[in-house]
Amino acid sequence: MIGVLRMQQACKRKVWTQISIALMAALWMVNAQAELLIKVTEGRVDAVPIAVVPFDGAQNAPEDVSQIVQADLHRSGQFKPLPPEDMLSRPRNEQEMIYRDFKVLGTEYVITGSMKAQETGGYEVSYALFDVARQKKLMSETYRPPESQLRDVAHAISDRIYEQLTGIPGAFSTKILYVTHNRHDANPYQLQYADADGHRVTTILRSKEPIMSPTWSPDGRKIAYVSFEDQGRPAIYIHSLATTEREKVSSFSGINGAPDWSPDGQKLALTLSRDGNPEIYMLNLSTKGLTRLTNNYGIDTEPRWLPDGEHLVFTSSRSGGPQIYKLNINDKSVRRVSFQGAYNARSDVTPDGRYLVYVHRRNGNFNVGVQDLQRGTFNIVTRTDMDESPSVAPNGSMVIYGTQHGGTGVLEAVSIDGRVKVELPSKEGEVREPAWSPFL
Amino acid sequence: MRSLLNPLFAIVLAAALAACSSTPTEDDTSATDNMSQQTDTSPVTPVEPSEPVKPDTSSIPLTADNFYNHPSNYDGTTDSRVIYFAFDSNTVPAAAFETLRAHATYLKNNANAKIRLEGHADERGTREYNVALSERRSKAVEKFLRVQGVASSQLEIVSYGEEKPAAFGHGEMDWAKNRRVEINYLSGRP
Repeated sequence: MIGVLRMQQACKRKVWTQISIALMAALWMVNAQAELLIKVTEGRVDAVPIAVVPFDGAQNAPEDVSQIVQADLHRSGQFKPLPPEDMLSRPRNEQEMIYRDFKVLGTEYVITGSMKAQETGGYEVSYALFDVARQKKLMSETYRPPESQLRDVAHAISDRIYEQLTGIPGAFSTKILYVTHNRHDANPYQLQYADADGHRVTTILRSKEPIMSPTWSPDGRKIAYVSFEDQGRPAIYIHSLATTEREKVSSFSGINGAPDWSPDGQKLALTLSRDGNPEIYMLNLSTKGLTRLTNNYGIDTEPRWLPDGEHLVFTSSRSGGPQIYKLNINDKSVRRVSFQGAYNARSDVTPDGRYLVYVHRRNGNFNVGVQDLQRGTFNIVTRTDMDESPSVAPNGSMVIYGTQHGGTGVLEAVSIDGRVKVELPSKEGEVREPAWSPFL
Repeated sequence: MRSLLNPLFAIVLAAALAACSSTPTEDDTSATDNMSQQTDTSPVTPVEPSEPVKPDTSSIPLTADNFYNHPSNYDGTTDSRVIYFAFDSNTVPAAAFETLRAHATYLKNNANAKIRLEGHADERGTREYNVALSERRSKAVEKFLRVQGVASSQLEIVSYGEEKPAAFGHGEMDWAKNRRVEINYLSGRP
């Protein structure tokens, strides 16, 4: 833990670069919803220098794909894009590539491309990735999307480049689901989702009463959440994003909370207090059969499935304050997992099952901590206060979480190793409870 | 500060003890048989010295630490609809006993009246865990009322956690105002 703190201090050379993508896009967005602005507050000192040459024809297109790709790679914290004004040449393709113009600037990889409007409508978007040291083209592709899908193509290109250079699939084409709260609004509570870069906000539900604990189905087509819309009483709903059809799946007396989908999509883990105090249950979504999994006088809540589909982690007060426990759903045996400090709660799990990410209280501050289940180590990866609801990206690279800036709820993301930090401040109201989608 | 706090506790404790003597036992199954109990509160009441003079509590400074148990938050009638709690606690504060007894009496006398106990937590900690904590507060108030003889059919519990704050700031005093159970009359409002 101390080692990581030292490392963070060594990272003081922060990359205080504000990306202007959100501003640029705002000019074109017909959708007038509050977008999330994204700011990289801390990048890795060893971030790879890269150059995304402005794509030929991008200035006349409704979305600048090269700008979006550059912003995506920057936001990962693992790449340090060269500002276009510093480029000595701006090649449009392999023929125009002059490697030494980038080599002298220390740039390791160059991306070129073009955007051409098609007579039939839509665009032809081509790009190529070059390795400066080896003076070699690594990959090139062409897409022909309709105009409405230019942002999707840009994120797909970012995913391809990220995977080519890091060996890890990119998560730029994913979405973030979250709750907003603006108490001056007629419907203060809203459930929304947006692209992982904060653009293209869609509102799923507006309510006068609280909305909580949104979560994705494993196939990314449905979401589950808690809504108090029915006379102020909590119920769990399953909501299909494509059809907007929804189903109330749990409305027992007492708490109906903390839904989490099993990896096979067949079951929902949830918290109910219908039998007296909060316990973890498993709801079979096809048979509607309910199985009680915990039986303890303490609080049991916030279940999360492990990738094996055989275990859950959850928060329990059975030893006093909240701690993380692991439950075997077959024999219902329970084992304590977290041991540092007096408050550990609301865990999420990386897709490989290796790391647990949860809220840890230290000196009255609530931070996000990462526990390595293989090595048994525990590191605090945030330095804000009031951090909550950590949610891991489907490629395991980043954790998005809610925190407060100047008393307002905002979202931030941090890499699992704590070395990269990204802010996603909202323009208005509070944003909270982010849930990162699976690969879509 | 501490020297000021102690007299306050002495006062509310005295009030609480006086109150307790007229309450049924903690066995709340006895509280379920209804109307007949309404009239028999007086025989159990011990000989009281005289009408107790309400202590002047205006000099006790209201702080975030004593907010939950401060007499100024409770007027002893059904007009008081919010019960506050100490940090990380689900103990009904002694200063609220008289107010809760007033609600209990009203509910027992008005079988059509129904209340919802809406539990809340301050913003610290995780959201679903706070829902669970706030449920414990509602249940503590529910138990108090049941012991007084209120029928379970007149009581409902909803737990909001930190989702519906009463104060929107982020300081100790805001948190003190948010750790609460609100008594919401769904029908038969006094």
